Amino acid sequence: MISGSIGTTRRARRGMLREWRLQALSIFSLAVAFVCLGSALLVVTNLHAVEERWAHAGRASIYLKDTATQDDVESFRSALSRVPGITQVKYVSSGEARAEFGAEEVPIHPDLAALPVEAFPASIEIEVRPDLPDAELAAIVAKVHQLPAVEDVETYRAWTDRLASLVRGGVAASVLLALVVLCAVLAVVGSTIRLALQRRSIEVEVLRLVGATDAFVKGPFLIEGSTQGALGAAGAIGLLAMLFAVVRGRMDGELAALIGVEPSFLPWTIAAAMVGLGAVLGAVAAFLGLRKLVAV
Amino acid sequence: MPRPDDDAPPAPFRPLLRQGARFAREAAERPILMFEDVYKSYRPGAPVLRGMNLVIERGEFVFVTGPSGAGKSTLLRMLYRAETVDQGRILFMGRDVARLTPESVPFLRRNLGVVFQDFKLVKSWSVYENVAITLEVLGLPTKLIRARVGEALERVGLQGRGEDPGGVLSGGEQQRVAIARALVGEPALILADEPTGNLDPQLALDILGLFEEINESGTTVFFATHDRSLLEVRPRRLIVLDEGKAVDVQCGVSPQFEDDYAALPH
Repeated sequence: MISGSIGTTRRARRGMLREWRLQALSIFSLAVAFVCLGSALLVVTNLHAVEERWAHAGRASIYLKDTATQDDVESFRSALSRVPGITQVKYVSSGEARAEFGAEEVPIHPDLAALPVEAFPASIEIEVRPDLPDAELAAIVAKVHQLPAVEDVETYRAWTDRLASLVRGGVAASVLLALVVLCAVLAVVGSTIRLALQRRSIEVEVLRLVGATDAFVKGPFLIEGSTQGALGAAGAIGLLAMLFAVVRGRMDGELAALIGVEPSFLPWTIAAAMVGLGAVLGAVAAFLGLRKLVAV
Repeated sequence: MPRPDDDAPPAPFRPLLRQGARFAREAAERPILMFEDVYKSYRPGAPVLRGMNLVIERGEFVFVTGPSGAGKSTLLRMLYRAETVDQGRILFMGRDVARLTPESVPFLRRNLGVVFQDFKLVKSWSVYENVAITLEVLGLPTKLIRARVGEALERVGLQGRGEDPGGVLSGGEQQRVAIARALVGEPALILADEPTGNLDPQLALDILGLFEEINESGTTVFFATHDRSLLEVRPRRLIVLDEGKAVDVQCGVSPQFEDDYAALPH
């Protein structure tokens, strides 16, 4: 059994080395297909990280009505400080909000400097424990909403919902790309194997004549297909890693500031799964390509 | 890459015990090959073989001849199950070849050695690899394969040529490699389909001599040829295929054979 596997692997390696140009072309084509899938997975992975980050942002903004007095604010702050789960309470007046906005946006959009201070409602910014369940935060928000001095409460939930929707879109796109990759692998490996079979028809004929079983004849071709698929996927991951390193080196700071999360490369489990997928698809494509094996 | 000419002396040639093989005295006494009322046609109304009967005993050297299209190659192809019979039976060592399942065909072929006019060598493989494949298919250990391939190459006069690529050999050498490939598995029967067809007369005689040596070691040889010069120089049993039937001309060249053969359409 073991010596048979070694022999099959040796014959596969021999075949691949003798037709290395054909194999290289096939692997390159597969790598291009896998780069598309890998890119989509990379985007989804990072979007998911951003979603995770903001889903547990641990903060909320309580906007106060213009009629809220300083006493209301003080008693409100004091009450919020005693609520379990809330770790920090900070009052931001209209003037402070206006100043903060002016510092961030006016240099970019000078027209906004004319906005009156009334356009910026006073608010109480609260921070909650990062591990606070969503349900508890929702209960706090519901209670706060009923207070007469409160105009609105922003938990940034809508933004994370939009992100989640974006991630779902990304996953759907990845699935579509995976189907495209599947078709590409079947077409490329299948064609390569059929071509190799044609070029090695005499070899197959000889094997048949000396009493080789189907498994003995097909084994090396299946290994070749599987290897092509795995190497194509591995090549794509390598290519993506290089591109990622280049992009990250130039944009890391800006991206981190923008999305609050440092961009990360594909986790090794996904990378390994891609290589495994390539190997399995390659073997299946080779198997399908071998249906019309030379019969003697 | 295992080398055929390594330091260790080659192991003695021993028969292989193949899958399912067991000794049976009655089986050993049967003819090795029997054709019983065999019919084969490729086109309706134009049968190549029509009710052919033939018995070949163990250890025989049999020439089969006939004009082109007489069915020599068809006969051989049916034996190694590249073709199926339309009707009748072909018994090889008591088993009906025509009734074998597709899964059993490889095991039939492991008991046969086949040599062709066009050699059927893999040019990109070395001489050693071309011969060793017969034993690799049987799953033998590398060490044993190395020894037996070395011995087979020695038998066909190609000792020390194991590393040569198959593509650089002359026609005669390629046919010797093909013969080594056929005999290295110690088959019970060797089928040769016009093995001298691509060789000059002297080389043809050399190759015939090789088959005779193989036959002397006990292997049955079934040699299809239309080369009359070979038939004339060797007194052997001769089967002439004529109008789809086998005409047995015992003990080779005879005045009667000369007349019979001359009367055949060429």
